[in-house]
Amino acid sequence: MKVTFPHMGNAWIVIQTLFESLNVEVVVPPVNSKRTLNLGTRLSPESACLPLKLNLGNYIEAASQGADTIVITGGIGPCRFGYYGEVEREILRDAGYDYEVVTLEPPNGSLLGLAKRIRFLAGTKNSWTKILKALRFAYLKSVGLDRIEDLIHAARPRLPSPLDTEKLYEEGKERLAQTMSEKGIFDTIQWVQETIRERQVNVRSSVDGKYKPLRIGIVGEIYTILDPYSSMGVEQELGQLGIEVDRSIYLSGWVGNHVFQGLVPGYRSIKSYPGYAKHYLPHFVGGHGQETVGAAVKFAREGFDGIIQIFPLSCMPEIVAASVLPKIQEAYKIPIMTLIVDEHTGQAGIKTRLEAFVDLLERPTMLRGIEQTRGEVLGVGGR
Amino acid sequence: MKIGFPRALFYFDFFPFWAGFFHHLNIEVVTSPPTNRQIMDLGLKNASDETCLPLKLLSGHIQALKAVDWVFLPRMVSVEAETYTCPKFLGIPESLLSSVPTGIPVLSVTLNWRKGQRLVLKDLQTMGETLGKSKIEIKQAFYEGQKWQEKFQKTRGAEWNFAPTNLEWPPEPERLKIALVGHSYLIQESYANLNLLKKLREKARVELVQHVDQIEIETNLLELRKKLFWSHSKQIYGAGNKFLADPEIDGIIYLTCFGCGTDSIVQELLSRKARQRHKPYMVITLDEHSGEAGLITRLEAFLDMIERRRVHEGYVSTHGERLDCNSNTL
Repeated sequence: MKVTFPHMGNAWIVIQTLFESLNVEVVVPPVNSKRTLNLGTRLSPESACLPLKLNLGNYIEAASQGADTIVITGGIGPCRFGYYGEVEREILRDAGYDYEVVTLEPPNGSLLGLAKRIRFLAGTKNSWTKILKALRFAYLKSVGLDRIEDLIHAARPRLPSPLDTEKLYEEGKERLAQTMSEKGIFDTIQWVQETIRERQVNVRSSVDGKYKPLRIGIVGEIYTILDPYSSMGVEQELGQLGIEVDRSIYLSGWVGNHVFQGLVPGYRSIKSYPGYAKHYLPHFVGGHGQETVGAAVKFAREGFDGIIQIFPLSCMPEIVAASVLPKIQEAYKIPIMTLIVDEHTGQAGIKTRLEAFVDLLERPTMLRGIEQTRGEVLGVGGR
Repeated sequence: MKIGFPRALFYFDFFPFWAGFFHHLNIEVVTSPPTNRQIMDLGLKNASDETCLPLKLLSGHIQALKAVDWVFLPRMVSVEAETYTCPKFLGIPESLLSSVPTGIPVLSVTLNWRKGQRLVLKDLQTMGETLGKSKIEIKQAFYEGQKWQEKFQKTRGAEWNFAPTNLEWPPEPERLKIALVGHSYLIQESYANLNLLKKLREKARVELVQHVDQIEIETNLLELRKKLFWSHSKQIYGAGNKFLADPEIDGIIYLTCFGCGTDSIVQELLSRKARQRHKPYMVITLDEHSGEAGLITRLEAFLDMIERRRVHEGYVSTHGERLDCNSNTL
């Protein structure tokens, strides 16, 4: 059995760790690319949302590396992600791929069924204690990943060379992917912090450190905000425009809530968002619609300069959120832009819109922020 | 007191319940007129661009409500155990507040049958406080509403005449029998679907999702490895599956609208089954730009194809090249 799974941003590092520590053979599909999307789009229903198309592309690319079992999570609605596993199974079978699809969820609410599925994946050699230990370690890794990502969010607008910052991010991820001990995770984070500190020393003396970056909060559908390919690297793009980015949902926050059913908080827990959303959208609408609204309110209250909502075309929960956001825009006088992505989204189009949005935000603060310094990376990110 | 009830979306499935409910409370229910050009335009202008046609229509209908004390926009979270409605239903009324004419308050209630009847009643009683009705009155009204709804479902909407299409054609075995599946708020919305139901009835005998017994729907859902969690989709898939297996049915038309999230999944599942069973199957996708000529052409072509298939019994000579050699629909 060779297990594979769909990509979602950095999630592969965590999932790979999980299976490898259980000695299960795992195939990490090639990262999302134009080819992935093309392969997936060919098989998908045309009105399905972007994540499904990318998922299918991942499976096809993984199949050529010998994968024969797919693991995904599920859900019982009302977002259609909950039914992905079933549709993907059908589509792949008809397309001639012999895949076993295992959805990690309690079938018909039966926890025993879930245990059976985990047992099927983990094989007979692993004891439950070992499985739980592996889960815990994978979770710790996801928190570590999120801390590094947040550090990079803060570093992009503050460190001099964008290329070096991206390299640092890549290497941080690489080190984190390879480490198999808790100390390794901790050391990696420290190493990233140290590197940033060193680089910042050089900046402090120079002149171009003399402004305070604008802050933009990114909210929206989880896949498109976690996966840089699907949103054409919005965060990196903004960082290089000199913007500090924060995001509503981080990987471990989602893992804690969705996979562990809220037993662990994760980095930036998403639990508080419904409370913030109460006035604008008092009921959940599936997916992360209510979280989007709540996060927008939270960002607005924290004094962010702008908010960008990203979701795949025809995403039902986010459409509801999008029709509520103008109210928040009005109430808090904060500009909100909505980006809808699908397989036709082009880099240049997104870039133009981001630049225009940033220009719009910069204008009123041009005079105001001139006396302020950028501040230190470590004072902002990765707390 | 007058309550304005928009003639869109949940109207087509649950109006009898609410009519019975408010009737018992001595509250007059005013519905907006059937969809017309003006209502559609109002909806398109006001609703968010990304949303689907039925919600845009709902927005138009809300704006068309005149001289009422309340606009009634229930949040129908779930109408039976273990299912949800579409996520966009869950966002009503918040996502449509901008469509409500200024000065008219919105009356809303959360209806969630997942939690059982007791809590549904409790939520209704909370709404009753706004209306100045006692708990007992609400309870009685609730049972009255249920009675109306049951009758509606038993008679398959015969007395309600939502779509003026109950024309009885003499049973001619020669006539084709076509099943039309899709959301009730598309199939019975004769303005938005360009009178598809009537056009189809002129040419063939038509079976609808509502004509299928609940028990039959349930048995046809059993083959799914995972239960569908949208109530409408369950009906559509269950009925569609039954039609697929029914040799009497000559073809199936799936009516959907652009951007429908639940249909994107269910339509895919059904179309795959149709292919396996070699049943003629067509998808019509509606949006606000649908043109009548295009619809008629597709409808006629579909029916012609079935007609021809009947004559040739789907057998095509295996000799030599043929146009559809790469298709397995025949």
